[in-house]
Amino acid sequence: MVVSRRDGRAGQDVLRRVGEASVLILISLAGGSKHGYALIQDIKELVGVELGPGTLYGALDRLERLGLIDPLPAEDRRHPYRITAPGAAALRVHLDSLERVSAAGRLRLRLGGI
Amino acid sequence: MDDPRAARLVGTVLRCYPARWRRRHGDEAAELAALLIRDGTPAVSVAWSYLAGAARERLTPRPGPRLTAVACALLVAACSVGVSAGLLAPAAPARAASTSQARGRAHCRPGSPEPVPGVTPAMGRPQVIIREAGHGRSC
Repeated sequence: MVVSRRDGRAGQDVLRRVGEASVLILISLAGGSKHGYALIQDIKELVGVELGPGTLYGALDRLERLGLIDPLPAEDRRHPYRITAPGAAALRVHLDSLERVSAAGRLRLRLGGI
Repeated sequence: MDDPRAARLVGTVLRCYPARWRRRHGDEAAELAALLIRDGTPAVSVAWSYLAGAARERLTPRPGPRLTAVACALLVAACSVGVSAGLLAPAAPARAASTSQARGRAHCRPGSPEPVPGVTPAMGRPQVIIREAGHGRSC
């Protein structure tokens, strides 16, 4: 894991296998702490993807287990979450990896004249 | 939720989640469903998403308190067996040696009155090898 000191797998792209929803949630939380409904709305505005509520809670639990997000004290019935330092680092590593893949793909397209 | 049928549908689906999940997210999930339905998301779509989430939640193995308790119990049991074995160890060899030599292995002794098939008498020492079905056993 990137950065999570819990399992000591420093430097790896842990987000490669957690699914798109988890990455989108981390991107949204990178802009500030949010609860479930705010996350769904933000992700919809940001990338046009509407997360289902079941998918959202599954991803939130997974990210929390990985230590990439932290639950904040509940506000009424809503539980806000914030990204942790390992979560931010993991997101950075993943986005860097996506950038490299994107650059390689564009280069191949250009070289292939497509 | 304004529509009681939608509320009932979502409530039913949320009951498919494990109790632990419902304690943690149940109220918020019901409120989130109400907000999404109010925004125009079909209730069936919300219910379906929760149903799929409940199935994933039930099927995903995770080390819960029960598993941890079982692991702890096994560890404690293993430790107590180890401690008991350690306490009994000094007494056991002597007792085992006296009983086994006295009873079961009389035929192994040199100078046994009846010859035992498969017994090779050792030269100059009181130890023989018995070969049974390809396995050597010393006594």
